[in-house]
Amino acid sequence: MSGIAGPLSLRSRRILVTGAASGIGRATCELLSRLDARVVAVDIDGSGLQALEQQLGGEGHASLCADLEDLDRIPGWMADIAAAGPLFGFVHAAGVSCVQPVRLLTPAVYRKVLTLNTEAALALARGFQKKSVRDPAGGSIVFISSVMADVGSIGAAAYSMSKAALHGLSRSLALEFAPAGVRVNCVAPGFIDTPMFGRMSALWEPAQFARVREDHPLGLGTALDVAHGVAFLLADTGRWVTGSVLTVDGGYTAH
Amino acid sequence: MEVTTFTLITGASSGVGREVARSLSRSRRLILHGRDPARLGETRDLCERPNEHLLWSLELCPVEAIDASLVALIHDQRLAIDGFVHCAGTLKVEPLRLLERATAQEIMDVNFMSALEILRLLVRRKTNGKHLRGVVFISSTASEFGARGFGAYCASKGALDAFMRAAAVELAPQVRVNSVLPGATRTAMTETMLSDAALRQRMEADYPLGLGEPGDIAAAVEFLLSDGARWITGQQLVVDGGRTVNITA
Repeated sequence: MSGIAGPLSLRSRRILVTGAASGIGRATCELLSRLDARVVAVDIDGSGLQALEQQLGGEGHASLCADLEDLDRIPGWMADIAAAGPLFGFVHAAGVSCVQPVRLLTPAVYRKVLTLNTEAALALARGFQKKSVRDPAGGSIVFISSVMADVGSIGAAAYSMSKAALHGLSRSLALEFAPAGVRVNCVAPGFIDTPMFGRMSALWEPAQFARVREDHPLGLGTALDVAHGVAFLLADTGRWVTGSVLTVDGGYTAH
Repeated sequence: MEVTTFTLITGASSGVGREVARSLSRSRRLILHGRDPARLGETRDLCERPNEHLLWSLELCPVEAIDASLVALIHDQRLAIDGFVHCAGTLKVEPLRLLERATAQEIMDVNFMSALEILRLLVRRKTNGKHLRGVVFISSTASEFGARGFGAYCASKGALDAFMRAAAVELAPQVRVNSVLPGATRTAMTETMLSDAALRQRMEADYPLGLGEPGDIAAAVEFLLSDGARWITGQQLVVDGGRTVNITA
């Protein structure tokens, strides 16, 4: 795919990806690099970022080890990154899962979920909207939400809340950023085989795991399937798409 | 022996359908459907490698005529169809008190029933084997939102999307079925609406990214048919420049 100027080409566009060291974030970085984007990989896992660097094609990539829970510092380090070249967009793939019955869901527990999954997305948008940070020609923002934004599950209160909030956030940001030519969308994945899914499904009964698998008419997906949806929204293919949710779920929410 | 497969595009003689044909012709052989053979020929001339594409001229209303015509086309030319994009659509804005049943029926037939009829035939083994892989319906944001005078049109697009989800579940994993929900793009169908200066101004204000082009919709169709979308089925993809999230206009 590298070097081919297909419709998904992101040639020379600088795109920041959070949660870059694993799962969807990592697959996104790898795919974007093959589409000739210049990737800025952000994660709290420094050694994971080093491992990622070996996997990236193309050139001009950068990485940053940062804790997204430190919301106030996000706009600052985004400005530092943009000093080396403006950002065309960002993908917020960082997130934390949470399977807890409500009786165990203390503010400390659910706030961590909200901070990382939702508030960090807003902080990144705040950093991005500065004229010195973003590409003056326009841009594209993608939040990785979840089918859990639209369906419920016992124990998923905090996670569902955090992901549904991303849908609301993206719609209003889409309107606020449209005059600057910046598009804002969500990709809502179903259950895919990632380390996070492994941690979540480890808590399930075998019957529940079997049901989740059966509930996806196309079977369980991969992080790369989700990354392709992200690339569609980042590239010019998505030039008239804003405020939308692209659900990539193997038919999970259709049945 | 490898079979040469085709993608069927209805409503290919103008607007979104013509643009979908142009962009898909870069990578696929096409069956271009439309009512008017002359305009279909114009679409074919706009395609890459025009000689590789076939024309299928037929009125989709009444739907009863589709069966014999499509089956004959497939059998006569020994075609294998792996993609189906339903772009055919008709829009008549009529207040409910003036709407005639025949008009409503025609809108339902062209926008929805013909898609069901064609998909039903394309998954029949004796007609098309097991060749079908990807289906995209051009729906509308009218599937999700109401507008004055749009009763039959909204109903037809709502039915199309409900059918899309059911077909996606039933035909998985061999066939993926999705909808694209465009807002108003500049086409012949919307030309009369857009020629009214006041209405046009209001519509442009409604669209945060401005009015769309048929190519914006074609890009989404091409993506949904591609391997990059191999885990996407049963979904409505809104491509509307932010229109339906915009309540500030």
